[in-house]
Amino acid sequence: MDKIEKIDERGVWEKIADQLRSRSMWMLHYCTGCGAVELPPSTTSRFDMERLGMGPMATPRQADLFLITGYLSTKTLRRVIYTYEKMADPKYVIGFGSCTINGGIYYDSYSTINRLDQYLPVDLYIAGCMPRPEAILNAFTKLMDMIRKGEADGWKRYKENYEWYKQNQLRSLGEVVVYDEFHE
Amino acid sequence: MMNSTNDTNDTNASLELQRVFEELKSMFVGCEVSQIEPTQFKLIVPSDKMLGMLTYLKGIGYSHLSIITCVDWIDEKKFELVYILFNWSNGVTFLVSTFIDRDRPIFYTVKDMWPTAEYYERDVHEFFGVEFEGNENCKKPLMLELWDDLPPLRKDFDPLQYSKEHFPDRTYEKDPIHEARIIRGDIEGDIEGGEIDG
Repeated sequence: MDKIEKIDERGVWEKIADQLRSRSMWMLHYCTGCGAVELPPSTTSRFDMERLGMGPMATPRQADLFLITGYLSTKTLRRVIYTYEKMADPKYVIGFGSCTINGGIYYDSYSTINRLDQYLPVDLYIAGCMPRPEAILNAFTKLMDMIRKGEADGWKRYKENYEWYKQNQLRSLGEVVVYDEFHE
Repeated sequence: MMNSTNDTNDTNASLELQRVFEELKSMFVGCEVSQIEPTQFKLIVPSDKMLGMLTYLKGIGYSHLSIITCVDWIDEKKFELVYILFNWSNGVTFLVSTFIDRDRPIFYTVKDMWPTAEYYERDVHEFFGVEFEGNENCKKPLMLELWDDLPPLRKDFDPLQYSKEHFPDRTYEKDPIHEARIIRGDIEGDIEGGEIDG
């Protein structure tokens, strides 16, 4: 998508709400790839995510932040889209590592996607394979800053460009519906 | 190996194995045995004697089916099916393999001997296209959902082309590998600035 000059269209109440949102982030506990291994040190005592006002959350209905941790296979992407659409507004997506940016070492794989922003609106990417917890915490503070300024508007973009995202999802996945033989 | 400190036990174990191999060679004509590691042996059997071989090995203690897998020998036009059997009493692994026709990849199921084989066979069917007669769930998708191309682990399948068709790449205005070569001093040139798309 083309980059356009962004105008702050938020009302006063939304600006206040964004200030508050940025200070209470619930991260969805959903790990897609190898990057998940960097999350335990980020959440626990050494790097301690909670001092930023963030915490892990088990259900997408009550989470604000969705981390895509590493490579995404097509099978996982179906579940990720399903989960993302279940989350309540406002919601933010962070892409972890080089796999979500350009496919990383799986660029020629038949089952992993090459760029995440074709399917979901990404607010922030963390480069690296894998990013260290310092980089992750850096990204979290950056995201909070973006939320305060109103720049983290991925969830709005997803609504506005829903057709475009859906078209990309269908082209790569064929069908986004999730079938699971073990729960039929 | 558990008996490595005891020489007599070791020789006993190897004598026992030699006896098993001689028995196998006399019972299943055309069976070849080769050693990979001290406790790992490969057995190659003609495909019509494979089920008998597996039944016999299960009977004499090689009862743990670790995995069923497949190798695509595209130049010989053969699929090699490999059944890995483990014996818990002496720690010996047998890789029992057979060759089947690549153009007509049909074999028989062993899910009545090992119930877990049902999933291994589905896996092999999905990634190589080998059909297992008697396994009615064989064609159900297991890991790949809505797959519509050649089975992906066949040698004539091109994963890069599939990836390009289905998962578009990010395009960059600058070429980082070219720049890295300039920085490293392999080639001469200027590094130009550029914006990353997306």
